[in-house]
Amino acid sequence: MSFALQAEGLTKTYGAVRALDDFSLAIPTGGVFGVLGPNGAGKSTLFRIALGLVAPTRGQIRLLGAPAGQLSALRRTGSVIETPRYPPYLTARDTLRMLALESGAGTVDIDGWLERVGLAAAADRKTGGFSVGMKQRLGLAAALITRPELVILDEPTSGMDPAGIQEIRALIRELADRDGATVILASHQLDEVRRVCDRVVILAKGKIAAEGAVDSLTASQARLRLVATPTARVLEILGPKGVADSDGAVLADIPRAETPALIRALVEAGVEITEARWRDADLEGVYLRTLDSQEARDAR
Amino acid sequence: MLADAYAAERFRLLRDRAALFWGFVFAPLAGLAMSVGGDLFMHRVFHRALPGAQLDLGGKLLSAVSGATSPFVALFLLIGAAAILAGDYRWETWRLITPRNGRGRILLAKLLVFGEAAAWSLGLMAVCALLAGLVGAMINGMTVVAPGGAFIGRLAGALVIVWLQLMIFGALVACVAVAARSTLGAVVAGVLVLIGQSIAASMHGLDPAPSLKALLLPAYAADQMRAFVLAPAGLRPDGQTAALGLLISLAWLAGLMAAAVTLFRRQDLTRE
Repeated sequence: MSFALQAEGLTKTYGAVRALDDFSLAIPTGGVFGVLGPNGAGKSTLFRIALGLVAPTRGQIRLLGAPAGQLSALRRTGSVIETPRYPPYLTARDTLRMLALESGAGTVDIDGWLERVGLAAAADRKTGGFSVGMKQRLGLAAALITRPELVILDEPTSGMDPAGIQEIRALIRELADRDGATVILASHQLDEVRRVCDRVVILAKGKIAAEGAVDSLTASQARLRLVATPTARVLEILGPKGVADSDGAVLADIPRAETPALIRALVEAGVEITEARWRDADLEGVYLRTLDSQEARDAR
Repeated sequence: MLADAYAAERFRLLRDRAALFWGFVFAPLAGLAMSVGGDLFMHRVFHRALPGAQLDLGGKLLSAVSGATSPFVALFLLIGAAAILAGDYRWETWRLITPRNGRGRILLAKLLVFGEAAAWSLGLMAVCALLAGLVGAMINGMTVVAPGGAFIGRLAGALVIVWLQLMIFGALVACVAVAARSTLGAVVAGVLVLIGQSIAASMHGLDPAPSLKALLLPAYAADQMRAFVLAPAGLRPDGQTAALGLLISLAWLAGLMAAAVTLFRRQDLTRE
C-alpha cells in the first residue's frame, strides 16, 4: 500500500505549547481524507511540517514516500495553508505565472485554472484588492496548476459564500474521483467534511482522538433512541449510560448486542415502550463526543 | 531548478514597478536631473558660457559609476534589495513559494536578480552621467574631452568593483532580512553598515600603507581595487593589494550569502 502522508512519533513544541504530541498517522493514497479538530489541535502544524515550512521537534514525516521537505515530493504536492497571501502588485494571472515558473512547470493552462476556480473575470485584477474568498479560490488554482498527485487544503472554503463552498466542494471531489489525486482536507465545517471525505481523523491537543471511515465512525457512535414512559424510570435503569433527549426520548449509549437485555429489563420494570430505534450519530455528534471523551481522558 | 527560481523572481520584480523604480531607476534619474539642474543654475548665475572650460567625459562617467556606493545612491539600491530579498516576509508569501523550490536556491535566485537589477541600474547611471555631461557641456559651452583609448577597460573595471560592493550589500540585506524577518530592518542595517564602513575606510585611507585589517573592510578593499584599475598605466600600484582586496570581497559575499542560506534553511516559517 502506498501512502500520501506518514507521520511517526511527530512532536512539535513552541515554547511550552505542544502543537503535536508523539503523533503518528498514515494516510493512504487515493480519496479525500479529512482532518478535524478545534483551533490549536495541531492541524496546520502537521501540514506545515509536511510541506517543510516548519521542522519537527522530534519524529519524522514522509510525503509521497519521501522525507518531508524533499523537493521531489513537494513538486508533486499542491497546498493551500490557511488564508493564502500573495504579492499585492501581481494580478491573479501573474501570480499563477510566477508560481508556475517557480515550480518549473513549463506550459500551464493558467486561464483554464482561473476559469475552473471561478476567477476568470478577475484574471487581470491585482490580488491586493481580492476578498478572502477570492484569495481562497486563487490559492486553489495555485495549488492545482502543476496537476499534483497530493493536494493539502487547510480550510479552503473559509470566507466563501455558500455557492462558492458548493463549487469548491464539487471541485475537491472531482480531483479525487476524476483526476485521481489524494486530497487531505482540514476544515471546521463538519457538513463539508461529511459530504466530501472518505475517511477522517479527529485531532485534539496534538494527538489523534479518533480515526476511521466517516460511515464507520458515525455508526460506531450510534445510540439507541427510546420513547418510553415513565422516562425517569428508564433513566434510572440506564444510569450513566442514559441521557434525556430534547424531545422527551432517552438516548442509551450501550453496545448493540445488549439491546434485547435492556428491552427485557425495561419491560420487567413496568416501562411502556412505544419506540426503540438505533440512530447513527452525525459527524458533529461524533466530533463533539470524541473531544469530550479526550478531555475526560486528559483530566484523568 | 535555480533557473526556475531565477525566472520566477525576475518575472516578479518586473511586475513590482514601485520596487523597480525606487530601487533601481530613481537614483540615476535623480542624478541626471540634479546635474542638469546644477548646470542650468550655473548658466543663469554667470549668464554666459564658461570660456575655455573643458569637460572630462570619461572622468565624469567613472565618478558617477563609483558614486553608486555613496549613501544617497546606495540607500535606494538597498530599498530595491530589501524589496526582492525580504518581500516574502512583508507579504507573508513564503508558504506559497518555498514548497515549490529549494530554500537555498530561492534565496540565491533573489540575490542574482538583485545583481542583475543592480547591473542595469549601474548601466543606467553611466548613461545618465553621459547625458548629463553632454547636456551640461552644451549649456555652459564647455569643450568635451573624449576619453582615452584604455577608457572602456577602466570603466568596465570600475563597474565590476562597484557591482561587487553592491552584491556584498545584497548578501548583507539577505542575512538581516532572514534574521529580522523585516524589510525595514534590512534597509536600516544596510545603511548603518554602509556609513560605518565608509567612515572606517576613510580613516584607513590615511594609513601610510594598506594593511590586512583595513582590507577586511569591503569599502577599503574596493578603494584599493579601484586605485589599481583606474591608475594610469605607468603609475599603477602593486597588484597584490588589489588581488587580496578582490579575494576578501568575494569571501565576504560568499560568507554572508552562506550565512543567509543556512539561517533560512533552518527557519521555521510558522509566521513569515
